[in-house]
Amino acid sequence: MTISGHSRAFLLMISLVGLAGVTAAQKEDLGVISAAPALRAEGLIIARCSVCHSADLIAQQRLPRARWEATVEKMEHWGAEISNDEADLLVRYLSARYHPGAPDQLPPLDSEFRKAEPLAQEPVAEGPLTGVAARGAGIFEHNCQACHGAMAIGGMGPKLVKTPILKHEELFLEMVLHGRGAMPAWSSVLSPQDIADIHAWLVTR
Amino acid sequence: MNEEPASRSLSRRTLLKRVIQGLGVTFALGHVIPRVMAEAGGVSKNEADHLIVHVARPLDAETPVQEFVSYLTPNSRFFVRSHFGPPPAEPLSDPNWRLSVSGLVDRPLTFTLQDLKQFEEVTLTAVVQCSGNGRVFHRPKVPGVQWERGAVGNAQWAGVRLRDVLAQAGMQTKGRHVQFQGADRPVVATVPLFIRSIPLEKALHPDTILAYEMNGRPLPLLHGAPLRVITPGWMADSCTKWLTDITVQAEEAKGYYMQTAYRVPTTPVEQGIAARGQSIPVEAMVVKSLIAAPQEGETLKSGPVSIQGVAWGGEVKVAKVEVSLDEGKTWETARLVGEDHPYAWRQWQLVWKAKTAGTFTILCRATDDHGQTQSKTSPWNPSGYLWNGWDRVTITVAA
Repeated sequence: MTISGHSRAFLLMISLVGLAGVTAAQKEDLGVISAAPALRAEGLIIARCSVCHSADLIAQQRLPRARWEATVEKMEHWGAEISNDEADLLVRYLSARYHPGAPDQLPPLDSEFRKAEPLAQEPVAEGPLTGVAARGAGIFEHNCQACHGAMAIGGMGPKLVKTPILKHEELFLEMVLHGRGAMPAWSSVLSPQDIADIHAWLVTR
Repeated sequence: MNEEPASRSLSRRTLLKRVIQGLGVTFALGHVIPRVMAEAGGVSKNEADHLIVHVARPLDAETPVQEFVSYLTPNSRFFVRSHFGPPPAEPLSDPNWRLSVSGLVDRPLTFTLQDLKQFEEVTLTAVVQCSGNGRVFHRPKVPGVQWERGAVGNAQWAGVRLRDVLAQAGMQTKGRHVQFQGADRPVVATVPLFIRSIPLEKALHPDTILAYEMNGRPLPLLHGAPLRVITPGWMADSCTKWLTDITVQAEEAKGYYMQTAYRVPTTPVEQGIAARGQSIPVEAMVVKSLIAAPQEGETLKSGPVSIQGVAWGGEVKVAKVEVSLDEGKTWETARLVGEDHPYAWRQWQLVWKAKTAGTFTILCRATDDHGQTQSKTSPWNPSGYLWNGWDRVTITVAA
């Protein structure tokens, strides 16, 4: 199936979900959102919201647009690193998927969409990547530090300095891309090159 | 009780587990975290695997209501709620942890846990309930953790009186509120701290305690080790966990968790409209009851069915529990059974003769000594606190 095929199916899915049990007052909440921005929004949730709380807290809400706006605004005020454009995208996505008429059990976002969606950065390169430690320090600070602490000494998430997995770069890449346990998947935010850079920086620590 | 002992060894084991998993297969795609993986902040599988997890991190998990056939809720099955998750175990451990008492007192003091144990010990059984318990039932829906019925439990707490500790520090007459702060911290420093206060009258009440034991065991990490506040009869937003700082002050605590969150409007608000008028902090519990058996969706044989559950009224005793099998048209009074202590819940039972096959909805409602009775639904409020609508379980009687 092509990406555009996926996009159409996704659009349809959100629309159908939206039609279940809708009142006139709720109609304005049901902005339709297509696959590409939806996946960007999901990536933002992983990268920016789940720094502080797992995404299940979001998925259990069923709120009208005004309350999503207020919630996103509150999170920005509390330090969520999102630009105004990103905040707008989040509000659009959240009020399309998690509106008051949405059923309790939503179908999961098909993992195929995630695979089909090209990464925000460069595509997966063939062969081993060479990480650049100097770049990795900055990427770590922006994306990983909130959980793993400044200089990777640990915080709410485990310490990464000298952690055994650093000796297995392939496993490290897999784990960061797809997540494990409390660690979210970063495949829609970080490219393999970014992860290689973070790895290169971590092994110097 | 068979809960895990010290949390310190757990976190070491969790770390080891992480390392082992790190070298093994990678996890499934996506960010859905299975309940058994709720391990951030030293939370192990064993501490949470009897609970229904609403938020994996920081852990928010409720007790399945069928556990409430037992008078005391075991520590390992007691609901878990905090804003930031438990702090690291090390600063809470015995040689490191201190309680500071300051503010409008004559002698600011610092206590170790041993120091605190010099005061007279008090043991009491009390319900602890999240203010948002039942939030999922409010219509229109409201934001927040979508708690169903089990963000509540009944435990025996042992500790010392807050008033004894305050007396040693020497309360000044200007002090009107007592503020609590725990050792838990947000991931991002710009998020407001969980700082709360209670008015002096409740702080000086002889039953308000600083608890270090829960059901005869040292307070588990998830429940506030080594010390938490217990304000019997009040909602759990006053029961600060991982307590480190007590401050006597003239005013209510400032900040989000006292001035914005955990408040309800003083006058009924239009449904769906965010509150703008006067509000007051969530304090005392309201009368409430739950059906613990039979369970939702259960299929029973015809014949006598024991309908049982619990009811509590916070600071007020439970006077009566009633059961309806006709959507509230008629009610039959249940028998109050078991132990009867202030602040604890009361168990109740009613034997129903299920004669005909079919689907039945069992409702229950309680009335307290002040004559307050549960209504079908609770007053709507923008954050969904204090739900105490009739409890409801639908079962099938087999042919």
